Amino acid sequence: MAKLPAIKIKDGKKYFFRFTLDQRIQHIVLFVTVIVLVLTGMPLKFHDMAWAAFVYKMLGGIRGAPIVHKVTGSVLLLLFAYHLVYLFYNIYKEELVPLKKAEGLSPLKVLKVLAAQPLVPNFKDAIDIRDLMKYLLFLTDKHPAPRKFSWKEKFDYWVPFWGILIIGLSGLIMWNKILATKLLPGYLINFSLIAHSDEALLAALFLFIWHWYNVHLSTSVFPMGTVFLTGYLSEGLMIEEHYEYYVEVMKKEGLEHEIRPPHGEHGHQARRKEDPPAAADTYNRREGDRTP
Amino acid sequence: MLSPSIRNLAISCAIFSLLIFVIPEDSHSADIGNCLLCHKYPGLSRVDEKGNLRLLYINEKTFNSSVHSRVKCEDCHTDIKKIPHDTAKKVDCLTECHITEPSTEKKFSHKEVQEYLDKSVHSIYDKKGGLKEYPEDMPTCKKCHDNPLFRPLSFFKGTRYGISEDSMSRCRVCHKKEEFIVKFYNHVTGRLHRIRNPQNIAETCARCHDNPDLVSKYGLSTKAVFSYGETFHGKAAKYLDERIPDCLDCHVNKGESVHQMLGHNDPRSSTYKKNKGKICSNVDCHPKASPKLAAYGMHAEFSLEQSPVQYFYTAFFIVLTGGTLLPLMGIIFLDLIRRLFPDAVIRRRKK
Repeated sequence: MAKLPAIKIKDGKKYFFRFTLDQRIQHIVLFVTVIVLVLTGMPLKFHDMAWAAFVYKMLGGIRGAPIVHKVTGSVLLLLFAYHLVYLFYNIYKEELVPLKKAEGLSPLKVLKVLAAQPLVPNFKDAIDIRDLMKYLLFLTDKHPAPRKFSWKEKFDYWVPFWGILIIGLSGLIMWNKILATKLLPGYLINFSLIAHSDEALLAALFLFIWHWYNVHLSTSVFPMGTVFLTGYLSEGLMIEEHYEYYVEVMKKEGLEHEIRPPHGEHGHQARRKEDPPAAADTYNRREGDRTP
Repeated sequence: MLSPSIRNLAISCAIFSLLIFVIPEDSHSADIGNCLLCHKYPGLSRVDEKGNLRLLYINEKTFNSSVHSRVKCEDCHTDIKKIPHDTAKKVDCLTECHITEPSTEKKFSHKEVQEYLDKSVHSIYDKKGGLKEYPEDMPTCKKCHDNPLFRPLSFFKGTRYGISEDSMSRCRVCHKKEEFIVKFYNHVTGRLHRIRNPQNIAETCARCHDNPDLVSKYGLSTKAVFSYGETFHGKAAKYLDERIPDCLDCHVNKGESVHQMLGHNDPRSSTYKKNKGKICSNVDCHPKASPKLAAYGMHAEFSLEQSPVQYFYTAFFIVLTGGTLLPLMGIIFLDLIRRLFPDAVIRRRKK
């Protein structure tokens, strides 16, 4: 597949590449299955609530809804398996193979490659969280300047990642309880039920409160961010959410002279039109060039 | 001298009887004493000596769909000899009624059931035959049973109480008298399945087993129906799944009367430690299950005393959920405020 341009310009506005079509399809399958699983699972967890019977009946009742839940759960587990293959294949093809050709491979080098993946939490995230708290508590008017994936997005990635593992494994045990209890004790089903149900509640609340706030409800994106559909993020949001990465991409694309100042540098808004490079230089001098 | 309440009742009945000029079209053979003359009127009621409102109305159609529809009123209400009558005594279910049991041609009564009950964990007698300390806590017939209604067999599409037109059509080929067909059909099919659905049975058991006073009085480890309700079985029962196992499926040996339920310490009991493995693997449930499946805690609760491991395991998830969501919700809250004042900042005084 042809590589997509890092920056697209449409109607004079810049859009920055974020997600491939493959990743966007994975995300759509993920959220559709998660919503169906929540709708067919939560009426069982909250069976005492007035809405539960109504929702459950709509989704097939006690005969239909468990089948819908199992089929959808299977699709999600298949997606998870596909994602792991996709992830490790791409790391292998794009990073390990060139490294092997250039320097040869060792376990330490492989670990370094894995640790340097953009979604792996690192020290920069701690700095971004500190900067965000300073900003939210009115101690500064400077936004944090995350890299390609901010700590919020890493949270968005890893909570469902581990959630699928725990919920999926416990779900499989409960689904195949006869087989599971040929090998393991019956009280494992109790532990599976607790893990399945409580972890699902955590994942659902996390996604519907935290993730939806960041991608739907926040005034920056309301009513909906479109990057999950188009794969491209607007320049304004790129500056607000990934300033360090924004500067890196702009430089890589030879657009240093068009780099806009970070949000929060309010005095720069007027200056930007007259002297944008100076604003970016100010930022780089102040923060140090932390781009990889 | 009649008490005022009885006198009022008698006067009401007399007035009603004057007003009656149409005998119900579908009057039933069991009402030979013409009790429905008064009791057919919705709203017929009185306030008893304890101040409780007693509804005395009998819905004839509903009664005719019940298992006692062939029994005459006076067979159970044996103290009523005349109309208008005095306050009726409580019905004794062990009374011999005028139904004849066809295989022995003896008068029918529920004495046999009482014998089973006396041998069960619910008996008012202890193992030595003496009265238990609190016999009043033990269930009597009417504590669990009302006048059950026939209902369609769950594997037929029922169209009205107790009747499946599909199967009735087969009866009509040979039998011509509709009333006979309906009664015979109901009598037979009513015994081929539970007259109550699993949720109904659980609710009946809950009257005692979820009663906090009784649970603590007898040192029971769980509110049994509450904990059953937290399992998939209990939830499915709540959503009216007919196929799901209820209390009786696990706590009574297959083929034995549910009235002869035994305590889990009794070696004959289905829930006795050595027998427990057979519960789940019975032919109607999970026939291929290993005995290990029965180690599933059907009555597990979030209780430190019942299972410390499970308690802390559950607590871990509660802390994890709170510990993850509360800080993030705090950030959302701060973010919402910050967006109202994007330029504001607490400036430090320059040195």
